[in-house]
Amino acid sequence: QLVSALHSLTRHVMYRSLTRAEDILALFPENFHQNLKNLLTKIILENISAWRSEAQASQISLPRLVDMDWRVDIKTSSDSISRMAVPTCLLQLKIQEDVALCGNNPVVSALTVELSKETLDTMLEGLGRIRDQLSAVANK
Amino acid sequence: VSSQQFSALTEVLFRFLMEPKEVERFLTQLSDFATMNKISLGPLKNIVKSILLVPNGALKRNLSPEQVRADFIALGLSEEKASYFAEQWKVNSPTLTRLAVGQTLMINQLIDMEWRFGVTAGSSELEKVGSIFLQLKLVLKKGSQTENVYMELTLPQFYSFLHEMERVKTSLESFS
Repeated sequence: QLVSALHSLTRHVMYRSLTRAEDILALFPENFHQNLKNLLTKIILENISAWRSEAQASQISLPRLVDMDWRVDIKTSSDSISRMAVPTCLLQLKIQEDVALCGNNPVVSALTVELSKETLDTMLEGLGRIRDQLSAVANK
Repeated sequence: VSSQQFSALTEVLFRFLMEPKEVERFLTQLSDFATMNKISLGPLKNIVKSILLVPNGALKRNLSPEQVRADFIALGLSEEKASYFAEQWKVNSPTLTRLAVGQTLMINQLIDMEWRFGVTAGSSELEKVGSIFLQLKLVLKKGSQTENVYMELTLPQFYSFLHEMERVKTSLESFS
């Protein structure tokens, strides 16, 4: 019962983003033991930002990009043409499935994608537009 | 086969080579040609088959127009017709080469990319959040099907992704 009560208390504090001691103290009932109340509030305040970051990191999300690597290859021949020199890019993305679903055993998969030069140029155009949109929002 | 008929036939052949998916059209044009010139379709098809072997082999082995011409003469075609074909070959080979390169094996080819920004407003844990994520959708070609891949990136991840892609571009350009 004690653990459950503590759990509800901390969850409530987190949810409401209560950061001032007065707000937390106000949650306790009138005749609650004074020193215990202050001690609990102090502990909660100390841990609140760590708990908050963890909550954000483990909230539901689309699969997250955790790492990326690339390499450039030159294709020199194929079954349809015996001599050529076509550069191509191989991009490897390491993607972690929804953290909330995996708990302590994150599932990371590696996806390898091939891009031709034209595709890369188009992609960079798109990424540039994203960057411009971000600057526009930041400057508002 | 007169030289006029030969040029008409060559035109039909090259049009097919440029657009190998238009099989129906090619066959229709061939049978029109046969009827117009009073040749029976069967033998014509066989001749066309052997003629088509030459440009396909030429592409594979990167032959010059002179070599194509020599091949045709070896096959028994008159000098005039062989030269005509070789000329057509010279004109069309950049496009045909590009087509062949385009057919080259690509693994998980990226064909499209879509994105949107999300601002996480709240969650079951935190009433007010306010963090920005970039959500990407990549469309990949896997064999004859397409597959959609969804992922999220934080803003710092986005900026380093952009930086890396610019490095890839520099690298690709130095090899072109």
